[in-house]
Amino acid sequence: MKNRSILLLLLLGLGLVACETEFTPDDADLDPEIVVEGFIEAGDEALPPFVLLTRSVPFFSSFDPDEFNNLFVHDAEVVVTDDLNTYSLEEFCVEDIPEPLREAVLALLGINIQPDEELPNFCAYVDTTGTLQGQIGKTYDLSIEVEGKMITASTTIPEPVPLFDIYFQKPTEFSPDSLLELRCSIDDPGGRADYYRYLTEINNEGFVAPFQSATDDAFFDGQSFEFVLSKAESRIDPPGIDTFGLFTLGDTARIKWCTIDEAHYRFWSTLEFNAVSQGPFSSYTIVDTNVEGGIGVWGGYAVRIYESIVE
Amino acid sequence: MRLSPKLVSIIGFLLFWQIGQAQTVTLSGYVKDEATGESLPFANIINKANPTLGTSSNAYGFYSLSLPKGDYDITYSYLGYNDLVQTFSLQENKSFDAELRQGIQLEELLVTAKDEKENVESTEMGTIELPVEKIKAIPALMGEVDVLKTLQLLPGVMSAGEGTSGFYVRGGGPDQNLILLDEAVVYNSGHLLGFFSVFNADAIKNTTLIKGSMPAAYGGRLSSVVDIQMKEGNMKNYSLEGGIGLISTRLTAQGPIVRDKSSFIVSGRRTYGFDLAQPALKGGNLEGTNYYFYDLNTKVNYRFSDKDRLYLSGYFGRDVFVFKQKTRDLFFRLPYGNSTATLRWNHLFNDKLFMNVSAIYNDYDFSLEGGQTDFSVKVFSGVRDYNGKIDFDYYPNPKHNIRFGANYTYHKLTPNIANATSGDDVFSSDLESKFANETAFYLQDDIKVNPWLSTNVGLRFSMFTQLGPYTSPLSGERFEKGDPVTTYTGLEPRASAKVSLSETSSIKAGISYNYQYLHLVSNSASTLPTDIWVPSTELVKPQKGLQYGLGYFKNLFDNKFETSVELYYKDLQNQIDYGESFVDDPAVDVENEFVFGDGWSYGAEFFARKNLGALTGWIGYTLSKTERQFPDIKRGEVYPAKFDRRHDLSVVANYELNDKWQFGGVFVFGTGNTYTPLRSFYLIEQNFQTRYGDRNSARIDDYHRLDLSATWTPKGRSFKGYASSWTFSMYNTYNRLNPFFIYYTAETEDNLAGASGTAVKVAIFPVIPSITWNFKFSTDRKNEK
Repeated sequence: MKNRSILLLLLLGLGLVACETEFTPDDADLDPEIVVEGFIEAGDEALPPFVLLTRSVPFFSSFDPDEFNNLFVHDAEVVVTDDLNTYSLEEFCVEDIPEPLREAVLALLGINIQPDEELPNFCAYVDTTGTLQGQIGKTYDLSIEVEGKMITASTTIPEPVPLFDIYFQKPTEFSPDSLLELRCSIDDPGGRADYYRYLTEINNEGFVAPFQSATDDAFFDGQSFEFVLSKAESRIDPPGIDTFGLFTLGDTARIKWCTIDEAHYRFWSTLEFNAVSQGPFSSYTIVDTNVEGGIGVWGGYAVRIYESIVE
Repeated sequence: MRLSPKLVSIIGFLLFWQIGQAQTVTLSGYVKDEATGESLPFANIINKANPTLGTSSNAYGFYSLSLPKGDYDITYSYLGYNDLVQTFSLQENKSFDAELRQGIQLEELLVTAKDEKENVESTEMGTIELPVEKIKAIPALMGEVDVLKTLQLLPGVMSAGEGTSGFYVRGGGPDQNLILLDEAVVYNSGHLLGFFSVFNADAIKNTTLIKGSMPAAYGGRLSSVVDIQMKEGNMKNYSLEGGIGLISTRLTAQGPIVRDKSSFIVSGRRTYGFDLAQPALKGGNLEGTNYYFYDLNTKVNYRFSDKDRLYLSGYFGRDVFVFKQKTRDLFFRLPYGNSTATLRWNHLFNDKLFMNVSAIYNDYDFSLEGGQTDFSVKVFSGVRDYNGKIDFDYYPNPKHNIRFGANYTYHKLTPNIANATSGDDVFSSDLESKFANETAFYLQDDIKVNPWLSTNVGLRFSMFTQLGPYTSPLSGERFEKGDPVTTYTGLEPRASAKVSLSETSSIKAGISYNYQYLHLVSNSASTLPTDIWVPSTELVKPQKGLQYGLGYFKNLFDNKFETSVELYYKDLQNQIDYGESFVDDPAVDVENEFVFGDGWSYGAEFFARKNLGALTGWIGYTLSKTERQFPDIKRGEVYPAKFDRRHDLSVVANYELNDKWQFGGVFVFGTGNTYTPLRSFYLIEQNFQTRYGDRNSARIDDYHRLDLSATWTPKGRSFKGYASSWTFSMYNTYNRLNPFFIYYTAETEDNLAGASGTAVKVAIFPVIPSITWNFKFSTDRKNEK
């Protein structure tokens, strides 16, 4: 659907010689902004609610683990309220956790860590009492007081819409037997706007979002149909066109299928559009945020998780 | 079409006026090329003894000059042709067709003559004629002669980007240029993402650019008119010409159907590079992948009598890109193109009243189809117009040249409509085509008040009605087919004046007010086939533009050099752009993604041109500023427009060494384009994201480039029915890596062990040499030297 990407393909296909030169952009010299990345989930294997607070950084050419440590914003007052109660979130950092538990705790926050490697001192604000649990249909207000600033946001966890009839098959007769595509079906509820986001996980290595993870139902409102879900691929080293998005025979695949509210969707859709819309055929997109006083997202998820062996 | 009562009364008034002016006699006829019988538009017809009482031929080569009874030497002149001086003893009305001889014989050679005084003497401002011979003498990217790229070398006209045929005129957007091919609007003038224009130079006779005050006969756009006329076809002899370049092969055939009465021309052009690669792709994973574009121009005309002539012309052009990949059963097919057809009837009521009636059809369509196994998606968009026009040229006496007419267009504009299928399931966006009526009436008069003052005043009335089927996004009301939804009207006054200071200098001033009812908004550095034309609707108001111009024109050294300085100020209302958080979503009507604001631009243009001698060419320099202000962009603050360019310089030179060798050179310099810079990186899901700063708040490197060309005509000018030539050209001779675009990346390592950011400038046109071979066969042996 990305017309412009096709044009880029055409440009490359024509073999025009592109001469690339790296340069250092002028320093924008603006105050860093506070970035909120907070989620509250309801449903299958719902993660505990958490909020990451970081700072935006000016253009860099290299960034080391120490600088990562400095990204985190400490000593904020983070409060979540629903229609009845107020919950305080407490800051804790990787260094506060006993080493054997670190990986497990981070995995609980949806943070994927390769074992046996050094970590930056990752910090998050979490509900240590365990009483704040996301519920379908509820609205959660977030307020953060930090460095003399007030930051607020609000999100709703919508009704879940499940997938069904999940199976794998060979994409074409020419493709190798070991690579399969995942197919599934959905009954999209009619007469209302639904917003979806999904992540995939292979062999319990942690959920990863694909390049295009979010969609609305403007194109298929109220329809029931079968479709293909691509596997999320590495952003660092994405595979070629022959294997992209395909699952490997014998792996264990899990799909995290979420419904989200409109503002939460706008965040992912603008973020993902911005990520691919650089270059000659488009200009730029400023990522939408539902956070007042900062940037980023405070998002609710209604989660369904499906697990299947690729066969 | 029916004439309105208002129009009939105007005609009646004019005819009455003519009777009152009956003391004079009228010399009228057509100006033509002696060798081919092609009519010569906008040729000058001047009374040698009193040059201020002259006229010029109209778009069809017709002229009418009324003079008191007496003896006259009349000079007929046309750029690139030798002057014809004819002596008349005028006692009664006389008809005379002037046949001018081309100053040179091979088209690649540069023109040697022109009416030297036109610069100073015409009332028009910011109007430039470019016969195609002049365009062919300029070095071209990959040897592909390009009308629109040549226009970019004129002051006040800026290229939309490296190598592209898109352009901006005096701070106006790319949709504000009215591009006409034989009167048909061309909605997308670019092939191959805009790197080449759709106008095949072999089929084109003349190009007129109006960037100053637009005469009332033209409307519907704010910034400029590019009026391109196709050749009519040789009335006297058959000829076959063509060539092979790096990009395309070309072939043009023309000749008489009935000698001196009827002629035809057929001209085609097609790329061939990927066709040659097809055998190599056969059997491979990418079998079936191809890209090509082609153009076909055809025209026939028939002269029924001295008073009636019919023309039928058509243009068909298309780009097709196909990508196929077997192992994933993946395909994309992206065809797009324009078709236009124009039927015109010229009728001469009498030697003072000329009429043209045109019926015009034009269509631009774009589609993109893609799919994988049992999933496929198709997106299509386009514009289709049915257009009827009537225009009168009335020459009551030497002091007036009156034009009036009416224009009606039925528009159908299709936004990006998307359909998808997945197995047996079908999905479609709810968008539908939009429809509109656009009507205009105009009256203009070129008045020679006295020997030192002349004026051109005009008024255009325009009306635009959006029609159903349409569902109002504001009220939810449903309009059925043909129901009027919203109507906009505009009164568009135009005026210009010229004051002669001396034989060789004059001052001109102009003002024009224009409405524009169709819009194209681009999110990219230039215009693309994916960009969509949208009509004015309830949400989208017509664009309005007010332009003031003032100029000083001076010819130097016995008219060998013409120079001018023009100042302009332009005020633009209801400008349209995409919002800052725009996402290209085919399920959403783009008009919901628009934001609205105002703009203005001002500048000074300096121009010096030498038309005579072995060395010819021009220097154009523009100093300008263009700004925009939108409540929803940059928090409502003023920002520079995408095409704000402080300095823009073009130097064009041609040197004719002898009959066999001719050289051309172009140097351009422009202040770097604006772009929206990166403000910061920030972390989401352990990946760095890019966050942008204020719109257009940074500038890319300055642009400059030198192109050179040499044309070798082995037999010189003494061809005997057959001629050929070789053009060697070097684009970007000193290999300046002008950035075409920039991008940023930030990559994080596993476990946030580190990250790296890069900012990259990408240049896509290094030094590019090319060779083009051209040939021509002709049955014409009269003009051999």
